[in-house]
Amino acid sequence: MSIAVFLAILIILAAASFFVTAANKKAGGFATVAVSLFALAMVLSMKGSVGGEQSFMYLGFSITTVGWYFSVVMLTAYSMTSFFNPFWMKKMIYPAGYNFLYLVSMAGTIGMFFAGDFITLFIFWETVVWSSAFIIQQGKSRKASYVYYVLSAVGSMATLFAIMLAYSVSGTFVIRDAFTGLAGSPGTALVVFLAFILSGLSKMGIFPFHVWLPEAHGSAPHTFSPVLSGGLVKMGAFIAFLSVTAFPAYEIFGDMLKIMGIPAPIYFLMLLGALSIIIGTLMAIKQEDAKRLLAYSSVANGGYILIGILMLDQVGFAGGMMHLMNHALASAAAFLAIAAVAYRTGTTKMSEMGGMIHRMPVTYLVYLISIISMAGIPPMGGFVSKWLVFQGLADKGLLFIAAAAFFGSIGSFMYVFRPLSAVFLGQLFTRDKDVREVGFFMMFPMVVLTLLTLAAGVFPNIILRVVTEIQKSAGIEPVTLARNTIVTTNGFLDAFRVFIVFGFGFAIAFVLFIVRRKSRKVGLMDTYTSAEFIHTPELLHYSHSFYAPFERLYDKAPDTMNMYKKISAGIAELGGLVEAVFYGGKPAKTIFWIMAAGMVFFLAGGVFR
Amino acid sequence: MNAMNFVYGFLVLVAVFIFQTTLTGINRKVTARLQKRYGARWYQQFLDIFKAMRKDSTSHGWVFDFGVIMALGGIMATVIFIPVAGFEAFPGLDNVFVISYLLAVGMLGMAMSAAGSGNPWASIGVARALTNMLAYDIPLMIVIFTMIFAFDSASVGELAAMQQGMGVLGWNAVRMPLGGIVAVIALLGMLGKKPFDSFIAPAEIASGPMVEYGGKHLGFMFILHEFMTFIEVSLILNLFFGGGATIWEYMLKYAVLYTFTTIISGVMPRFKIDQAVKYFYRVPLAMAVVQGLVVIFTGLGVKIWF
Amino acid sequence: MVLDEKDNRSPWEKIGDYFSANSVWMKWYCTGCGAIEMPPTMTSRFDMERLGMGPMATPRQADVLLITGYLSTKTLRRVIYSYEQMNSPRYVVGFGSCTVNGGIYYDSYATINRLDMYLPVDLYIAGCMPRPEAIMNGFAKLIDMIKKGEARGWRHYQENYEWYKKNQLDSLGEVIIKDEFHE
Repeated sequence: MSIAVFLAILIILAAASFFVTAANKKAGGFATVAVSLFALAMVLSMKGSVGGEQSFMYLGFSITTVGWYFSVVMLTAYSMTSFFNPFWMKKMIYPAGYNFLYLVSMAGTIGMFFAGDFITLFIFWETVVWSSAFIIQQGKSRKASYVYYVLSAVGSMATLFAIMLAYSVSGTFVIRDAFTGLAGSPGTALVVFLAFILSGLSKMGIFPFHVWLPEAHGSAPHTFSPVLSGGLVKMGAFIAFLSVTAFPAYEIFGDMLKIMGIPAPIYFLMLLGALSIIIGTLMAIKQEDAKRLLAYSSVANGGYILIGILMLDQVGFAGGMMHLMNHALASAAAFLAIAAVAYRTGTTKMSEMGGMIHRMPVTYLVYLISIISMAGIPPMGGFVSKWLVFQGLADKGLLFIAAAAFFGSIGSFMYVFRPLSAVFLGQLFTRDKDVREVGFFMMFPMVVLTLLTLAAGVFPNIILRVVTEIQKSAGIEPVTLARNTIVTTNGFLDAFRVFIVFGFGFAIAFVLFIVRRKSRKVGLMDTYTSAEFIHTPELLHYSHSFYAPFERLYDKAPDTMNMYKKISAGIAELGGLVEAVFYGGKPAKTIFWIMAAGMVFFLAGGVFR
Repeated sequence: MNAMNFVYGFLVLVAVFIFQTTLTGINRKVTARLQKRYGARWYQQFLDIFKAMRKDSTSHGWVFDFGVIMALGGIMATVIFIPVAGFEAFPGLDNVFVISYLLAVGMLGMAMSAAGSGNPWASIGVARALTNMLAYDIPLMIVIFTMIFAFDSASVGELAAMQQGMGVLGWNAVRMPLGGIVAVIALLGMLGKKPFDSFIAPAEIASGPMVEYGGKHLGFMFILHEFMTFIEVSLILNLFFGGGATIWEYMLKYAVLYTFTTIISGVMPRFKIDQAVKYFYRVPLAMAVVQGLVVIFTGLGVKIWF
Repeated sequence: MVLDEKDNRSPWEKIGDYFSANSVWMKWYCTGCGAIEMPPTMTSRFDMERLGMGPMATPRQADVLLITGYLSTKTLRRVIYSYEQMNSPRYVVGFGSCTVNGGIYYDSYATINRLDMYLPVDLYIAGCMPRPEAIMNGFAKLIDMIKKGEARGWRHYQENYEWYKKNQLDSLGEVIIKDEFHE
């Protein structure tokens, strides 16, 4: 099936789901499950036809390994999240519209990843931005949608500008050729490079565009946040990928100032990535809402992905590409787990919950494994990809970026532990005494994502084999893989053996534990309270301002959102001034100013010519 | 990987437990002598652990038990990876990132179990422990990163072997003096020695994460603490003090390094946790960055050395 | 308390008791007087760590509940709560005259007179106040008792739970609990 037909079918099915939902909400939800699983199956089957070029009217498509890889990541997030849709329909304001846009945005991402020229890429990019903006609006606040849309639009417009500028030099829109023509003019090339990657940065939530993530992820419908974080953020990584491969950045900027062997513009972008790791980590640590916390963690992880991809080398690049998959799996699972808790308790505020492990043990395990992966602890997938990024950085000696990466890695222990402790562990609140585990249908996608995360950590070479193909197609040396081993210049990693030894240690500890006498079960409230009697579980639960002493160290730091607010207030003031001066309510005054301005332009034109 | 590897691994665990627990007992005596006391018997630590294992215990639900097992399992797996005087039970798996992150599994398990007890002191203790970790790890990781860049290897065993043969002058603590100081300070933080022990403060937060443990759970925590001490001291010993060519040299150096931290700890008061963070991000971080820049840009100490 | 029982411990229990005897961790319950006698016992003059003794932070970790001085009925509830949080084998040491017979508070309306009506006391250290020498002496005796398997108070408490509970409830009278701050 050609891509165009595939996309057309998806759009028709999306429209069909609109009418199905209008007739029966639950059936509409199940329709999204069926359609997204169908799309996933179709894309998986497309692995064989890599290398094909197709066109449909003015749209051009090319099936590449990297497009396939990104599509698989994206559709995994979409299809797994869609299992939650049927159960959330009654909480939506416009369920039919939600399902329709959900599938349209999904189709848009496929079209974008398989785009053969920049016009196609841009059209589908905008499709995704628009449809997701309308979905986010259905959540808690409309403001989130504005922030998301405005920052996306800034990026999109810059990218459109870059595409047009490149076209004016090279005369083509085809992805492979459009940028190579710029080699002759490094000045234009620099502008095109920075403008083009801007949309990627804004989508990935790289500093200073990170403000939309907490707003949008935090207030989007609970069923869309996993897609936003696990999927749509990765569109930015695709743009970053194109900016260093389709755009031969390392060659074009080869003559510029180099820092540790990295051309200055790329190093600057890496620094932005490092900065977003630090800011994402620090901000995530002090959030009170579980979804906002995870959103900031996406900012930090976006930094790793960006740094990895920009390195464009044997090891670090593989790490960045693999981290994309690992973070998508882990973050979708974590958001789904929080959504499952919110489904039962109706809140995502961490201080309003506790002890959910005693009611929702499977959800707890899902969250646990996903955060282990997110924090980069073996034996989960996130460890392997972060290990590769660290190896790449150590190979090049990028000290400051590595320092940020370490900071984000250790800091992630802090912030991922917080929902674990506040939501799942600790005291079970009286209100939640009768909460039940979610049903099988909602548990299924979470468990699948968890198993995939574990598989990525134990058998990382399954993913890395695809990454090596991408590396070959990008013309760089692929990372060396033995049977179970990843080999780098600084040493090798055998993830499977690490897992086995971990299992060995666990087995010894388990045996040691069970040979000793069984312990006496006591209730959660029977704990050491300096012998004081406490009767309310809520009072005995430590969750608010968890890291207060640490937060105090940087609570006076400037906030990016405030900076934007100040700029926007400044612009509004300027607008008010202009309005007051030029449109004072008297038409004559306005006409006077228009004529005066015309005269000035006329005269100036005469002088400067 | 065959059955022998697992047998060796198990033997390593037993040997490490006996060695480190004895050393802890001796160090309790050292602390006592610093305080002009006679001190406990040298095998007191064994008695304490076996006594705890002997007692009945209380459990607060499955995560309380599971976390303890996961913690000890993760830590024991990490011990097996540590190269001791050129010996590794599973050769080739001694990557420094693997060791330092596998250690985190154990810590996560312990944190999970502690928070699972439902005691607020435990959660406060865990919050402090994680903050402490963020404080000491960044300077240390920067120095280790520099070392990996300079020596082109991330294997702890190889890095240790490279320092041998030149006597004291081959040690990384001498080649990178600032880095060596950072490492020892970070070791104090890692071991939870004073002045960085606010997360287990007994009188202030009722020993933090340990608050609800009794009986075999507490015994597990003590065993875990012995193993964790071994990992942390060994890591610094291998990376900065040349490991050991023979097992005796290794044990001697290990005992000296560990006793040194005990002596420092014995004469120190306690930092508040935010003071600890401020301290680590002022002095050791600056030293680590200076050391990193010197090594990366000039090669002084690594490429330029005799 | 029955102390003349035959020694019918299994070998494993004997080994266990050896460990328990040589590693005595205490939870100090010092809301009465007498806490001031503990620091000299702990520090360089008398150095209780020699015998494997040491203070612990919580009752879960401790083996010995050391109750110093008088106990008001209000604190008695807390002591019982702490004792029940401890893991067996657990021992109670009454410290000072007030735990024996009420001491100078023998006729107070607010304090209890005999501790062993409410908790199974294994050992008393009499005196007002007992000096560190007496404490060390007392603990040497306790260690000896544990080693010989004579410190069986915790079993006694399990076997005569109803009797203890009744005494405890009688002394407390009626406690009306509204919430944490009003009872």
